[in-house]
Amino acid sequence: MPANKKYLTKSPWLRLSKILCGSVGGYAVTVSLHLFFTAFLPKENVIMTAAFTGYILWAFLLLYAFVATNVWRVWGIYVLLTIVFALPYLLKINFNHGS
Amino acid sequence: MDPRKYNIYFHTHTISGIIIAAVLYVIFFAGSFSFFKDDIAAWQKGRSEAGHAFDPPYNYLLDSLSQHYNLRGRSFNFYLLRQGQGTYVDMTASADTTVSKPKPKTGKEDGRSRRGKRDEDAAYFRYHFADKKAGDYADSYDMAEFLYRLHFLAQLNQVGINIGTPFGYLVAGIVAFLFLFALITGLLLHWDKIKSNFFLFRPMGKWKTVWTDMHTTLGVIGFPFQLVFAVTGVVLIVNYVLLMPFASLLYNGDSDKLYESLQYNKVVKVDYTYKPISGAFDMDAFVGKWQKEWKDAKISRIYIRNYMDESMQVSLEGQPNPEANFAGSGYVTVNIGTGKVLEHKSPNNGGNYIDGVKSLLYHLHFGDFGGKPLRIIFFLLGLMGCAVIVSGIMIWLVARDKVATELRKRRFNFWASNFFLAACLSMLPVTAFTFIMVKMLDQVDQGVIYRTYFYSWLVLGIYLMVLRNLPRMNRHTLILSAVLCLGVPIANGISTGLWMWTTWQKGAFDILFIDALFLTLAGSCAYAFTRVRTEAKTFKVLSLSKTPENVSKPSVVRE
Repeated sequence: MPANKKYLTKSPWLRLSKILCGSVGGYAVTVSLHLFFTAFLPKENVIMTAAFTGYILWAFLLLYAFVATNVWRVWGIYVLLTIVFALPYLLKINFNHGS
Repeated sequence: MDPRKYNIYFHTHTISGIIIAAVLYVIFFAGSFSFFKDDIAAWQKGRSEAGHAFDPPYNYLLDSLSQHYNLRGRSFNFYLLRQGQGTYVDMTASADTTVSKPKPKTGKEDGRSRRGKRDEDAAYFRYHFADKKAGDYADSYDMAEFLYRLHFLAQLNQVGINIGTPFGYLVAGIVAFLFLFALITGLLLHWDKIKSNFFLFRPMGKWKTVWTDMHTTLGVIGFPFQLVFAVTGVVLIVNYVLLMPFASLLYNGDSDKLYESLQYNKVVKVDYTYKPISGAFDMDAFVGKWQKEWKDAKISRIYIRNYMDESMQVSLEGQPNPEANFAGSGYVTVNIGTGKVLEHKSPNNGGNYIDGVKSLLYHLHFGDFGGKPLRIIFFLLGLMGCAVIVSGIMIWLVARDKVATELRKRRFNFWASNFFLAACLSMLPVTAFTFIMVKMLDQVDQGVIYRTYFYSWLVLGIYLMVLRNLPRMNRHTLILSAVLCLGVPIANGISTGLWMWTTWQKGAFDILFIDALFLTLAGSCAYAFTRVRTEAKTFKVLSLSKTPENVSKPSVVRE
């Protein structure tokens, strides 16, 4: 049997919002998290590691946008996380003097 | 499990799965055969590469090139084939303007694409060491290359959809990412039953149970394998998606610099001096010397800059043999005029973190670290992926084929599955057919392979769809596959005289392997055909006489 419709999103706009939140928002969080790590680890190593961690994290973030009860809160969380993770870059703080 | 979450996992899994099903099947199918890329190439050529040691005749190659071109001041890139049986050669125009006579600059330069528009004076070709023959790319195109490139949809790049990035690669990347997503949701969906249903196969049950078991149990058992291929697949084909922001944020938008720091490509720029070098350059001796130095490693690339100029430099890149060292990369750059080693890193020690991650990526995806047995296991796991996909389509169809569903929707669902299954199931007979044709036709190049494969795929696909009957589709593909797969070793024997017993005696095990592989496939399909004929329970679902049944691939896996 297909999934029970009772638990699924009915409004197409809400569905679009979830898809966008998960893909675009998830992407922003993924990139900014790895950017955050470059503040105190060698950047090329972090970028290389992102090959494995990045896509898996992104996929989970995409899923979370669907699982969460309120997608607007997820939007908020993702935007907030992106800003927090990007702070060291924006403030040009770098503890990794090696690279 | 919370029913809400369960249903969300269920729905996201279903939607992402059904969107990618057919394309993912193509990727899995072609990718599985690509594990035997070298064997297929040897098979088509009719010349075994197994166990041969090659002394690459670089001097001979340069010498014969110099009869057509003035080589002074040119740069060469050699991309060696994996077994060292040949190389791709990329020769640029000369840096010496008295040789190259540059045309007025058009202002457009295409640095990264190797096969783009280029100077007539430059050349890109494939060179085979054993017979010392060069062929341009399209002429030396073979089934190995075709299936390999099909598994990342390279052929789709040529359909003329221009979006600034190769269309086929992008599709392959999106499919791979959605595949990763479907894997995760599928695993979470099945989470509570992982332990209890780990080996739950009920082949005697209803067909729907058979498909469900095939999908969930094989899916869980194959999960680690498929996860690895989903992740490495995304990385290998569209990693620029994730690299782009880093290039613009951390490397001032200079993606070449980013790629260099990730050790993908080395930028070797040497100024031309217009002073000829004194003495000759013995490339065979040079490469041989470093090959001796780098024991347990294979030279993968050779770069020559400013040939026969005083500034001439030669760089070698090498990878350790996986038995000796799983991770690592080495390079050396030598100034030929002075003989000075400008930089050197041995492939077998001092591997850094990036080497480690990259080796993991490549070795896991190419399955080249455990010899033939590992490739065969990966091949079977790949076919298992095909079985999971096809059973997924069947579950999708049957779950929606209810009397309560609107007729319009049921019709649509049926035609969607009909189309997907026709496209998927026709791949094996079409592949076998093309293998036969490349042995039967006199002239085989890229165009011939394209036309044979894609037109026969189209014709068979339409025929199977017109049947409008899934069990009949299944039976027809099985019998066609059995006959055509059996035809592969026969066609090889007739056209080249390399029958299986001949290749066995000669020790040409790579050619023998492909024949044996298709013989096994033929046997499996024939066996599956007899089972399907006797056991298939037909049940009427719609007014159209269509009766879903078991599908072909599982029999291959079940053995």
